Amino acid sequence: MTVASTRLVEVRRNVMKKNDLLARALRERMQAAGVFVVSLVSSPGAGKTTFLERTLTELGRTHRVAALVGDLATDNDRDRLARSGAPVRQITTGTLCHLEAEMIENALEGWDLHALDFLFIENVGNLVCPASWDLGEEQRIVLLSVTEGEDKPLKYPTIFNTADVAVITKIDLAQACEFDRVSAEANMHAARPGLPIFDVSAKTGQGMSVWLEWLTAPRPGST
Amino acid sequence: MHELSIALSIVEGVTEEAGQHGGVVVVKAVHLRLGRLSGVVGEALLFSYGLACEGTVLQGSELRIEEVEGNEMLIVAMELES
Repeated sequence: MTVASTRLVEVRRNVMKKNDLLARALRERMQAAGVFVVSLVSSPGAGKTTFLERTLTELGRTHRVAALVGDLATDNDRDRLARSGAPVRQITTGTLCHLEAEMIENALEGWDLHALDFLFIENVGNLVCPASWDLGEEQRIVLLSVTEGEDKPLKYPTIFNTADVAVITKIDLAQACEFDRVSAEANMHAARPGLPIFDVSAKTGQGMSVWLEWLTAPRPGST
Repeated sequence: MHELSIALSIVEGVTEEAGQHGGVVVVKAVHLRLGRLSGVVGEALLFSYGLACEGTVLQGSELRIEEVEGNEMLIVAMELES
C-alpha cells in the first residue's frame, strides 16, 4: 500500500502571466510596425464612443487610424465609429466584462499593421474588470464624464492607478452638473499622482485640439 | 465579475506548473497572494475557483488567499500529492 504524500512546491508565478506575455509580444509587434496603440476605459455611458469617433475623424485627416471596439452584445459602436471612415473591427465579448490580449491578437488577424499610425482599442464599459488585463497598448486612457461624480477615482482606484492619461468628457455640461473640477483632479491624483488630465467635449470640440496635439507629439523612439 | 477569468488563469497556471513535477499529480491546495488594490474580490474568487477547478487536476483543491497591500496577484506555492 502506498501512502499519499503531500508536498509544498514553490511557484511564484503571476496569475496574469499568459496575458502579460501575449501583451508584451503585441506591444513589440506594434512598436516594430510603428503603430501607436491607445486603449480607452471608462464606465458605461462616459462617452468613449463619441470621443473616439471624433478623435478618429479629426486625426484621420492627417494620420492612418483604426479602431477595435469591445462590446458585450452589439455591433452598434462599430457602426458609429465606422462613420469616421476609419477601419473598425468589433470584438463581441459575450458575457465577458473586459478585453484580453488574446482577443486583440485575434481581432488583428489579416490587418496590415504597417499601414497604420494609430490603433485605438475601446474596452467594454467597466471600471473594474479591464484593470487587470494588459492589452499591449502604449497608453491607457481612462475617461470620466462630468455627469458621473468627482469621487469615482476614489471608488475605483485600480483603474485610475493603471491608467497613463485621464480624459474628463462632456466638459460642456460641467456647469449644469455642478462638476467640481478641483476635487475630481485631486481624487484622480490620489489614485495616480501626476496623472495627466485633458478636459474635452466631443460634442462642441472643446479641448480636442490639445488632446490631438498630445497624441501626435513626437515621442522618444518613434519615427 | 471578472473573478471567473482570474480563477481560470490560476487553474491554467497551476496545471502548467504541476505538470512539470512528473507522474500523476493531484493539486491539494494553491497559495495565492492577493493585493487589496488588484480589483479582485476574494470571496467572489473563491466561488469562481471551485467552478474553474472542475475536471482538472485541481478539482477539490483549496485556494488559500493571503491578502496583501498593493495590486499583485501571485501564485506563491502549491501543495501536490502524488
